[in-house]
Amino acid sequence: MPFSRKSTLEKIEKAQQSGARDTAWSALGVGEKLSLIGVGVIVLIALVGPAVMPYSPIIPSGGQLEPPLSSGHVLGTDVLGMDMATRLVAGMQRSLFAALVVTLVSAAIGTLIGVAAGFKGGWLDTALMRFTDLFLAFPAMIIAMAIAAAIGQSLGSAMIGIIVVWWPLYARLVRGEVRRVVALPHVQAARVSGVKGWRLLWRHVIPAITPTVVVTASLDIGAVVMTLAALSFIGLGTPAPAPELGRMASDGMKYFLNAWWVAVLPSVVIGLLAFAFNYAGDAIRVVLRRTGV
Amino acid sequence: MLTFVAKRLGSLVVVLFFLTLLVFTLGKVADSDPVRTYVGVNASAEAVEAAREELGLDDSIPVQFGNFVAGAVQGDFGISLASKRPIADELSTRLPATLELAGWALALTVVIGVSLSALYSRPGKFGAFMRFVFFSAASAPSFLIAMLSVLVFYKWLDGALPAAGRSSYGPYDDGTGFYVLDGILHGSPTYTGDAIAHLILPALAASVGSGVALARVLADGISSSLTSPWARTARSLGEREGTVLRRHALRNASSPALSLLAVQAGFMVSSLVVVEQVFSWNGLGSYLSGAIGVGDFPAIAAVCLILGAVYVILNTLVDVALAAVDPRVRLT
Repeated sequence: MPFSRKSTLEKIEKAQQSGARDTAWSALGVGEKLSLIGVGVIVLIALVGPAVMPYSPIIPSGGQLEPPLSSGHVLGTDVLGMDMATRLVAGMQRSLFAALVVTLVSAAIGTLIGVAAGFKGGWLDTALMRFTDLFLAFPAMIIAMAIAAAIGQSLGSAMIGIIVVWWPLYARLVRGEVRRVVALPHVQAARVSGVKGWRLLWRHVIPAITPTVVVTASLDIGAVVMTLAALSFIGLGTPAPAPELGRMASDGMKYFLNAWWVAVLPSVVIGLLAFAFNYAGDAIRVVLRRTGV
Repeated sequence: MLTFVAKRLGSLVVVLFFLTLLVFTLGKVADSDPVRTYVGVNASAEAVEAAREELGLDDSIPVQFGNFVAGAVQGDFGISLASKRPIADELSTRLPATLELAGWALALTVVIGVSLSALYSRPGKFGAFMRFVFFSAASAPSFLIAMLSVLVFYKWLDGALPAAGRSSYGPYDDGTGFYVLDGILHGSPTYTGDAIAHLILPALAASVGSGVALARVLADGISSSLTSPWARTARSLGEREGTVLRRHALRNASSPALSLLAVQAGFMVSSLVVVEQVFSWNGLGSYLSGAIGVGDFPAIAAVCLILGAVYVILNTLVDVALAAVDPRVRLT
């Protein structure tokens, strides 16, 4: 768990008493603040980085396997003479975008099924949850591999493979939340006063479950980044020269003992992405729980 | 208890059936044409026809599925499109390799988890620093850990530990395929030691992530156990802190840790696939990535089925073990 959760708690209580507007931010510990800033920096680099880099990520721009800190290539070049720094930044953009899409789509599918099951109940609930449990019982990574391998080697098929194994978690979560929320006094009161069907769902149930889904999704991005990287590493991503971090790492393995940077740098970037999002997701969870949003 | 076991066995069979159905369906909708992969792009119409028959693709889909299930149950996974040999033969030497690595990695996970859990819950700056280190280790992809360990122990320490393959000597002809066991059976300390040396780095790379996750769960469980009423009672009866920790807290924290271990076994399968590739470990994982490279879907399906079945069965075993230890589980 992150640094100094206890002092975080105290700070939140203090901030709540003083009624400060910036409660959430001032409540965070140093490590949590740094992680959120880190995520901000990463997103910024991924957004504007590829535009400001001087080279193209898929066209050779220097000598082969130049080590880091050589002139013109801060992080060196790969075996085809393509600039590592440019490729890493482009790779960050790709994996962040892919992870975001995978998380959003999985959360959307899971929410749809979870709401249908939890709100309707009855046979629909039983049927949908049996289906969900079946998918939960499958080994996620292996099914994702089989699906991605069947559709073909590309980032898109890796994403589909992960979505197929990822939505059941959200379906389970949302179904439980919906059943909890429906039993809450204010929702019961609304129902007694004649609110029903879509209106009840839209006005009372959906707003109540949204924070949980958002927090879970933000916690998930790091895990999705790692899963995508692993699939890409074993050959289930878009082949070179596409700047894909996992693939870059596994291709770089061939020259690894002479030119470590080609394989190690993409792996480090993947680790940084996962670390920043895991840590920041945890910070968000702590803050939301303590401030009672 | 008996009803619980029967129920879990029933759902095990159902899950295995649907797993097989899913993998089979994926094979049918797969992007590439198996016959073309098998005979090559320039083959004659007769050769294509013959290959269709040989691969059993002339049968109706339900019959093909029936054959697939019947074969899989008997350990026959059809013919590899790339090597044109029975997949089962190719896997027979690779399965022990992966199982041996997985066993060591799982054992190392437990060692790492138990020994680090005490560091995890340390108070103050040191504990905070340790949690930071653990968090980083849990976020590092297994291939990064694999690469760094090779750089340190193979390159910089001048070959202190081997970084590729399973043995410097090759397999025994009459061996079991588990090299450490083979070495012991043949009474050769050199062979055994060499096999263990080859296992250290891959097993470490595959187990760091899950070991750290285990440490977190154990530390959470222990710290909540140590503040519970029965721990207070034990202390008031004069038991020493170490005894309370070992006899009571660790035991109570081990039940969530056990179910986590089952989940981690699933993650471990995926990190093994990656780690095997880094260490040129001749197991299912490197077979799988080879098959992916040439679009050999029957081979991919076979590996996915085997690994998937191992995972599902392992989960069932853990569930039963948990129910045996903790009667409350049986009710759900």
